[in-house]
Amino acid sequence: MTVRRNVDILSLLGQQGVGGRANRYSPPLRSCNQRRPAVWYFMKPTALVRELVSILGRDAVLWRPEDLMLYEYDGLSSLRPPDVVVFPRSTEHVVQVVKFAASRKLWVVPRGAGTGLSGGSLPWQGGILIVFSRMKDILEIDIENQRARVQPGVVNLDLSLAVSDDGYYFAPDPSSQKACTLGGNVAENAGGPHTLLYGVTTNHVLGLEVVLPTGEVIHTGGKFWDPPGYDLTGLFVGSEGTLGIVTEITVRLMRKAETVATLLAVYDRVVDATRTVAAITARGITPAALEMIDGFTLRAIEEATHAGYPMDSAAVLLIEVEGLREAVEENALQIESVCQEKMARQVRRAKSAEERDLLWKGRKNAFGALGRISPSYYVQDGVIPRTRLPEMLEFIGQVGTKYRVKIGNIFHAGDGNLHPIILFDPRDADESRRVREAAQEILAKCIEMGGSITGEHGVGIEKINLMPLLFTADDLDMMRKIKGVFNPEGLFNPGKVFPAGKMCGELRIEAGAGGVL
Amino acid sequence: MTTAHDSVHLALAAIVGESHVVSEPTACAAIAVGGRVPQYIVDPPTAESVAAVLKFAADRDLAVIPRGNGTKLPLGSPPRRYDLALSLKELNHVWHYEPADLTTSVEAGMKLGDFQDFLGGEGLWLPLDPLGGARASIGGILATNSAGPLRLRFGSPRDMVLGIKVATTEGKLVKSGGRVVKNVAGYDLCKLLVGSYGTLGVIVEASFKLFPRLARRATLVLEPGTLGLARDLRRRILNSPLGPLCMVLFNTEASSLLQNGPPAGDAQGLELWIEVGGSPRILERHARDLAEMGRSMGVPSRQLNEQMAESCWLRLRDYEQLFADSFPDVMVLKATLPIASSEEFVSFAQQVAEGEEVKMASFAQVGVGIVHLGLWGVKLGAAADRLVTNARKSAASLGGALVVEQYPNGFNAERDVWGPSGNHLEAMRRLKAAWDPKGVLSPGRFVGGI
Repeated sequence: MTVRRNVDILSLLGQQGVGGRANRYSPPLRSCNQRRPAVWYFMKPTALVRELVSILGRDAVLWRPEDLMLYEYDGLSSLRPPDVVVFPRSTEHVVQVVKFAASRKLWVVPRGAGTGLSGGSLPWQGGILIVFSRMKDILEIDIENQRARVQPGVVNLDLSLAVSDDGYYFAPDPSSQKACTLGGNVAENAGGPHTLLYGVTTNHVLGLEVVLPTGEVIHTGGKFWDPPGYDLTGLFVGSEGTLGIVTEITVRLMRKAETVATLLAVYDRVVDATRTVAAITARGITPAALEMIDGFTLRAIEEATHAGYPMDSAAVLLIEVEGLREAVEENALQIESVCQEKMARQVRRAKSAEERDLLWKGRKNAFGALGRISPSYYVQDGVIPRTRLPEMLEFIGQVGTKYRVKIGNIFHAGDGNLHPIILFDPRDADESRRVREAAQEILAKCIEMGGSITGEHGVGIEKINLMPLLFTADDLDMMRKIKGVFNPEGLFNPGKVFPAGKMCGELRIEAGAGGVL
Repeated sequence: MTTAHDSVHLALAAIVGESHVVSEPTACAAIAVGGRVPQYIVDPPTAESVAAVLKFAADRDLAVIPRGNGTKLPLGSPPRRYDLALSLKELNHVWHYEPADLTTSVEAGMKLGDFQDFLGGEGLWLPLDPLGGARASIGGILATNSAGPLRLRFGSPRDMVLGIKVATTEGKLVKSGGRVVKNVAGYDLCKLLVGSYGTLGVIVEASFKLFPRLARRATLVLEPGTLGLARDLRRRILNSPLGPLCMVLFNTEASSLLQNGPPAGDAQGLELWIEVGGSPRILERHARDLAEMGRSMGVPSRQLNEQMAESCWLRLRDYEQLFADSFPDVMVLKATLPIASSEEFVSFAQQVAEGEEVKMASFAQVGVGIVHLGLWGVKLGAAADRLVTNARKSAASLGGALVVEQYPNGFNAERDVWGPSGNHLEAMRRLKAAWDPKGVLSPGRFVGGI
């Protein structure tokens, strides 16, 4: 089989100017400054665009360069725009677009809200971008069966709000839950603070409708557990759009807890906070959430959000326990005593729903708060055994000193899921290089400790060059065989998850380009 | 011993050592699957040698069925062919144990009972009560995603596995996931392999997240009398903040089987058993609220004494054995349904059973939507086919599915164990072909003849 060359979609579209120079990994600021040829504004849609318009309607296809520019980035970075953006309203629309793409051998990339942090929805080679913002219906709410059926464009939080009056919610709660879509959650197997107790997206998805690259539609699972056959639902969740495009999702709804206690433990030393996390785990207490924020980060948050974190502390733990009144009371008391044992300066319990919301608002808006104090930042997603947290945080501090970069830490401590945030100015080439090296060193340490390079953000394009550090060639080969079953030509979400390999349809990333930014 | 061995035996011995290969006919006959007898039994001493044996089998086109302790082998269709029994009993080590981190890695051949004893030293456990109970091996539990009533609270093996190591027919050992509790790097092969019934690869090792043992456990029995009341009760419990460990609804036949005698209670004898766990205060709250719910609906309740409860749950967890002891020709059906349909399915099934004049014991995990039916006195042939077809129709009409877990000799199992598959069967076949191109792993045992 031959390696597929980049189909000349640009010339097909008659748009030789559009993102023609692949601005891979260049600083995000460039698109505003770049001068575009004036000829763009007089362009006419090509035959290709006209065909897509005939499938979806005039209002569902974007092709003008100024429109495409909005879709050249996601939560990772800005690379290059897609060649055309479509907005299907139904599974049938998706099927038609996919069949059309298959007949022309065009790349197809799905996108929800574009909040992903690993570049999973970046059309970094161009192609057709399918945006799900018009497939946002909650198709069915079935409280007695504790299930809901939704389209992929439904926003995560909107589902919880829709079932809130019945006393239910959808458990996975990524920090971007006000914006991110369930389709994106499924693609990346998203997590969130409360997945410590309830599990990540894959533990809450029972069935999918999937469009394969041939245009064939398959249904996996349903409202019930244990459907006979291979667990294709579990395989598709987290496959980052490289096996199929999800057009419908059946999820599990959880009953809201009777009561919740939210604790804030304040520390004068980071190591005491990390030791507390290890001690809580070792005692077998599983809080619903157990988050850590270091002093640097909490000060940035406090200035932006006024969440009530003490400005002079070295670290805080945000701990939540929920369940039956009796269980919450017992667990909260145990946790308070562990915190005090581990030298917490203060342990405070939120007295009202407002106080609790404020504490969480600070946590969930943290990345935005850091954006106020730095031109750019790079968030990592490594995972380590929880017992190694004290050692790891010290290591991250040393890495920051070694590479002269500022690193904040705000993360899902109870899961051992780190989110070191490295601040930098992308216009400073030397600093960008140091950031890359610091990041690599932290992830290498995660692997050395028996951990992983990503706990919830996905591999995307950001971490593909790290995959060989975690997996052997044989491991990756068996995964590629699965990709070969569903997406043999690599038309769906090309260049994601796997490092360049021998299989057809794989794309080679330019040496040194992968990894960061 | 001076028996002359054939070339396959000698080649296997060269891979795993002579003491790990058996081709003696009576030993082979003792581990027949679905009536088929293998020619060789191999118990490789290491994961690497499991992979080597698999490669050899693929090269020589020998059909292989992996086995742990054999408790799950009655499940699934009979194999199309069977040459080599690949026993994992030698792989019974715990490779990694970090009690403070609540994680462990264990080999597939270890028996659940031994594993729990090992974990118990640190006050931890794997909250699973699969078919076969303590005798079930870790590998078998994963291959069949086997979970009992505890699933209501803790989920199934699918939810507890952090990583796996698998031997492939190419003779390789590949891994997915890891030892940390959150990991999304690469495809989730754990999900694909768990519940694949040994048709894609052989799981040789798995990492789990562990849980602290519960301080105390107690069992309450409510006697709703009718399925309608049982349904209302289930609704109230699931809509309450209570978090029971298990909830199983037994019909009269089931509870007398379990308790070894006539059940207490009224004529219909429906009993809803609810196990709860935690501190004394949590148990007390559950007991109070559940009794109150019962009272408000006119449903009597009682607390089972601890010893009785424990022995009954143990017997239930080993239900295949329970049936086999009393009714050797039993047929066991498992329906998987939307939660709200369990009671209705039991009612349908009762009618179907009465129509065929067979006895039926039903164990319904009403909070999960899984119902097991034990049927005895089933006439083979048209009657058995009708029984399965009608029960399957009922499950399908309620939005679920039905598989035959155990069947008497003579039942048309090739056709009927799994029932029809959806429109994803072709994708499953291609996955099978990608991982096992020669079709040597458990051929014909799975859905759609995979």
